[in-house]
Order: sequence, then structure tokens, then C-alpha cells
Amino acid sequence: MNYLNEQRRNALAAEYVLGTLRGKARARYQKLMMQYQLIAETTALWEQYLGGLNQRVPPVKPPPRVWEAICAQIDPASVTESANSPSSSDGTSDDNIVAFERKRRKQSRLFSGVAAAAALMMAVLLVTLSEPVVAPIERVAIFSDTDNQPLWIIEISGDSLNVRVTDALAAVSDKDYQLWMAPADGGAPISLGLLPKNGDITRIPPEMLLDKNVTVLAVSLEPLGGSPNGSPTDVLYHTNIFSV
Amino acid sequence: MEHETLFPLLCETANGNKTAFAELYNLTSAQMYAVALKMLKRPELADEAIQDAYIKIWHNAGQYQRGKGTVFTWMLSIARYRALDLMRYHKVRNEVDLSEDTHSPVSTDESALSDAELQKLEACMGELEPSQRQAIHLAYVNGLSHQEVEAHMASPLGTIKSWIRRGLQSLQRCLSL
Repeated sequence: MNYLNEQRRNALAAEYVLGTLRGKARARYQKLMMQYQLIAETTALWEQYLGGLNQRVPPVKPPPRVWEAICAQIDPASVTESANSPSSSDGTSDDNIVAFERKRRKQSRLFSGVAAAAALMMAVLLVTLSEPVVAPIERVAIFSDTDNQPLWIIEISGDSLNVRVTDALAAVSDKDYQLWMAPADGGAPISLGLLPKNGDITRIPPEMLLDKNVTVLAVSLEPLGGSPNGSPTDVLYHTNIFSV
Repeated sequence: MEHETLFPLLCETANGNKTAFAELYNLTSAQMYAVALKMLKRPELADEAIQDAYIKIWHNAGQYQRGKGTVFTWMLSIARYRALDLMRYHKVRNEVDLSEDTHSPVSTDESALSDAELQKLEACMGELEPSQRQAIHLAYVNGLSHQEVEAHMASPLGTIKSWIRRGLQSLQRCLSL
């Protein structure tokens, strides 16, 4: 089939941008875009053609946790700055996890600055009163290297997926690590997002991950930004999930 | 907004300027999030789509080519494709609230495209048959598959595919004039 034929090229590009080109046909088209400059350019043209259709969708401000999570991934050291991000400048948060982390930072500053026992007791009281209820950890998974050195520790509770990196990880700077789950029905791996290279991140787990029949997680090595085609590129590790 | 603001911010983002990236997020995230939420329906999935999209934008800002379209269209495409991936992975059943207006013309409130481009898109969409226009709108804005458009419009799958294909051909003819 000649994909460069003008009519076919435009038909495929339009349906790709529209979103109706799906499954294997979509994956094949993504390869064609990498292979042929003309197909990539036709796709960009259709993106421009149809882009205006979205501009009647009324804007919705994303919750502050989204910016927090972005900062945590591009630069974990900037998470503190992100509390002052544009999206959270109103000081509100509807995310218990982010709120907890901010309170924990406030707590640590308070402890370092107060020596008097009375103030210490007041701080403890305040933190005790203000900490949100955190769901107990139900499942854990540990990714280890070939020397059995743990690299990432995954903790799953009803409302959060927490990932911690150990100092055994020798991260590469020009690649990202991506976390995947194997669905219980044997379907294609599902991305759980990029893994941190240091520190820890917390995100909301998809409902499918809470299925007790999901027992395997995997880590793949990906180009910066994550898998280009929605499938793992180079699977490095896999591990079982255990209930606790 | 596009030429004066977003392009310089994206250039600074490509240089690793986090302040510029934060400003880019501030200016664009509400529209990006609205589009993802419209497609995915579930806020936690829209969160993930937008988060992944902005991380990709951060890493790939230097790959943007101005000749291929506006900055916002490029960013929006990244978010839409991520949302489509998540719909497939999470098996999101996409249904449209029947009270939603899927016939309305394109508004000109935002500025990813110029007013002239938006007016032309609106005029060209207006020239399509109503069934073609609605099918294209349901697929693009609501993220519906052919089968989901079939269920929504209660017409045979072959007819839906034909409406979309012919509608897109008409749209291209009109827009490229």
C-alpha cells in the first residue's frame, strides 16, 4: 500500500488526529510518521486544521496536585517551590497527599526553630490535629537489580501509589524509567507513569491496580518523556506485588 | 497570545528555564485540562494525561517546529494523544451526555489559532452536512471511537465511517482554499 498517495495520506492523518484510527492501525501509523517526513507533516497540518474544534471547550483549572507531580518528576528538588506555583497560588488544595507533604515540611521547619518544650508540644498538637487520614498500605512491590540491591520501593494503598528510590539506583540522565502493570486479563501492559530517579513521588493509582488479580509490575527504559508509542520499549525489571 | 507569549516561553523552556515553564503551564493548563477531562471524564485520568503531557513538553520543547503549527496546537496534540492512550488502557467507556451541545459552532474566545483561522474553521464546519459535523465533533472533542459514535447517533457503523471520511474530505477542501 502506498501511504504517500495524497488522498490516502490525508485520510489516514485526519483519522489519526481525530482519534478514530485505533489499535494496531494507530501504532502502524505512528511508525510511518517516524519513517516518512511527508506523513509527519501531513499529520501536523491536520492537527492545525482540527485544533480549533477544542477551543469551544470551557477551560477547567487543573487541581494543584498536577503541578506538584510535574515538578516532582522534572526536578524533585523544586517540589518546595511548586507550593507557590501559579496553579496553587490561591493556597487551596483538594489533594490530601499534597496537603500532607506541605504540612510535613511546615512541621519540620517548626521543629528546627522551636526549642521550648511548650512550643514543641503545641507544634505536635497542631500537626496531630491537621494531618489527614492516610489510607493504610495494602500492597508492596520492590524492584531489585541483578545483585538483589533494591532500586524502587512501591507502596499501594486505596488512594495512593507511592514510589521511593533507593541510593542503589545509578540513574542514566538521557533516559527515563517507566512503570507498568500487567492487567489481570492478560492484555497489553498499562503505564503507571514515569518513575523518579531520586526522592519519591505519590500519584493516584488506576482502579485496575487495586484488583488483587494484578500481581506483576515492570520497569522499562524509555526515551526522555516516556514511551513514544504507549508500549514498553526495553523492559529492565519485573516483580511481583505482595499484600501486607 | 500565541506568537507574543507562548513561543518565547517554549523557547525558554527548551533552555531549561523552569520559571518560563511554570508560566507556560499557567497560561495553557486550564484549556489542556478541559480537553483531557472532556475525553476521559474521570479527573484522576485527566490529571495523569496532563501531567504526562507537560513532562513530555518539558523534555521535548526543543523539538517544536514553528512551521508545523502553533505552540498551543502542538501542546494540545500531545495531551490529546496521551488521553487517547489512557482511554484505551483504562478501557474508558465513552458516552456523551445527551444534554451536551455537539452542534455548536466553534467559539473564538481563545487564541491558539488566529481569529481568521477560527472563523474559517467555523465557516467550513458550517458547510458540512449536520450528521458529518456532529460525527466529527463527537470523535474529536469527546474522544469517541467509530463504534461509540455509532451508538450515540444510532446509525450503522458503515454510515458513521462514511460521514466522518466524507466530512473530513470536505473540510480539507474548504480549509485549503
